[in-house]
Amino acid sequence: MLPEPARSAVSVAHRRGDSNGQPIPAITPSLAALTLADARFPGGGHVHSGGVEEAVARGLVTGVADLASFLHGRLRTAGLVAAAFAAAATVTSAPFALLDAELDARTPSTAQRDASRAQGRAALRAARAAWPSPVLDALVAATSRPHHPLLVGAVIGIDGGSPAAAAHCAAYLAVSGPASAAVRLLGLDPFAVNAAVVALRPVLDAVVAEAAEPCPPELLPAPGAPVLDLMAQAHVRQHQEQVRLFVS
Amino acid sequence: MRAGARVVVERGRDGRSAVRELRSQPPLALLPQRGVAAARSPVATVHVVGSASSPLGGDEVSLDVEVGPGAELVLTGVAATLALPGQAGGPSRTTIRLRVADGAGLQYLPEPTVVTTRADHHAELHAELGAGSRLRCREVLVAGRGGEPSGQYRGLVRVQDGSRPLLVQQQELGDPRLQRSAAHLAGRRVLAGEVLVWGDDPPTAVAGDWWSLVPLAGRGSLATAVGSDAIAAQRALADAVAAHPGWSEAVLGSQAVVR
Repeated sequence: MLPEPARSAVSVAHRRGDSNGQPIPAITPSLAALTLADARFPGGGHVHSGGVEEAVARGLVTGVADLASFLHGRLRTAGLVAAAFAAAATVTSAPFALLDAELDARTPSTAQRDASRAQGRAALRAARAAWPSPVLDALVAATSRPHHPLLVGAVIGIDGGSPAAAAHCAAYLAVSGPASAAVRLLGLDPFAVNAAVVALRPVLDAVVAEAAEPCPPELLPAPGAPVLDLMAQAHVRQHQEQVRLFVS
Repeated sequence: MRAGARVVVERGRDGRSAVRELRSQPPLALLPQRGVAAARSPVATVHVVGSASSPLGGDEVSLDVEVGPGAELVLTGVAATLALPGQAGGPSRTTIRLRVADGAGLQYLPEPTVVTTRADHHAELHAELGAGSRLRCREVLVAGRGGEPSGQYRGLVRVQDGSRPLLVQQQELGDPRLQRSAAHLAGRRVLAGEVLVWGDDPPTAVAGDWWSLVPLAGRGSLATAVGSDAIAAQRALADAVAAHPGWSEAVLGSQAVVR
């Protein structure tokens, strides 16, 4: 069965995600969301640059302004996909196998799929110790190397967090890691980079609003990030031939 | 303008694929290839020709393609599609449905879509694949004519293999902040993609500077290229497609396929 045109992902995406320029009220943070977004969380996130290392190697990101533009694009594409799937994974008895297949189909780049599953797997070990729950058993039963956004959503759901809280956490992680990688790669001013991340607030709010809207898995957002995908593949090639700081 | 075109191809007892149903409606004219060579070919070839200026704002155009069990169809475009604004206002919409039955093969190779500056175009392509079927499906998007900013474009491609989604991807053009971003188009104007569900996929991803060929999680591969003009992007896309083992084998093994 094909979805009705009116319910199609394009029209759903078109309808949603408008915050009318007004900052949406702050989302009640759960302890799980704070923990997962903390750079000191032992989930292995620090080894991934989210494409920044390759963008720097190509001269596409050379300073704070380019980085802000890169993060803007990353947030609205890969960040929106991660946020929507994290939100969907918070729901009681979320259909993890279906979400896993739909997220795979939205992640054509092999390198991005590997990076997502490597981070999910690493975070799973920490999550199992901190939030033991049959929900994590169900997630692992569906896939032994869960995608990172599904793990994030499942943990925040276990902790009683809302879909919006999970979307917020996943969307923030889509830019915070790459921003910190850029500081290390380019020796940028950490205060300026931090301010550039915070300046993404209106975009982050719109992404979270769109991501948190309940939606059947097949109609979840699927925005492509063509150059990000290309760079992820090229990064793997370079990583095997030269010394690189980050895995992705 | 609301219009629907439809083509149904089936495999006959002689093993040749023949057009069983053909409905053209302006702006889409479907022209089957005829003549001696076509009669000898086991593959049916149909050209999609624009018979009116379209899509204009307000147009709703659909194309339904069905390839029956074991049949082979090559559906090609003849000229670039120009998405234009309309007098009535509102977006233009194109919906394409491709149904490829068990053991069938479909190549859908339209020419580029140019999103002119004041256009607002929405496009959807849904492909449903049966067991052992093959699909080659191309999409080349050009963000504006030379020297003009892009119009609005939102597109969705969904390729479904039985109950499993192989590829779900939306593309958006027309927002300069997004297009400029090194995560999106890095300032390039042309985005070219080709889905190849055609025999063996590469064991790992293959990448050039501005193209990649990646095996999808299910079956099939996605070739992607970006470029500053349609020629460069399509050349890079051809490099990516040439790296696909299943497709290369098909090209070497048969004259019946379109390079």
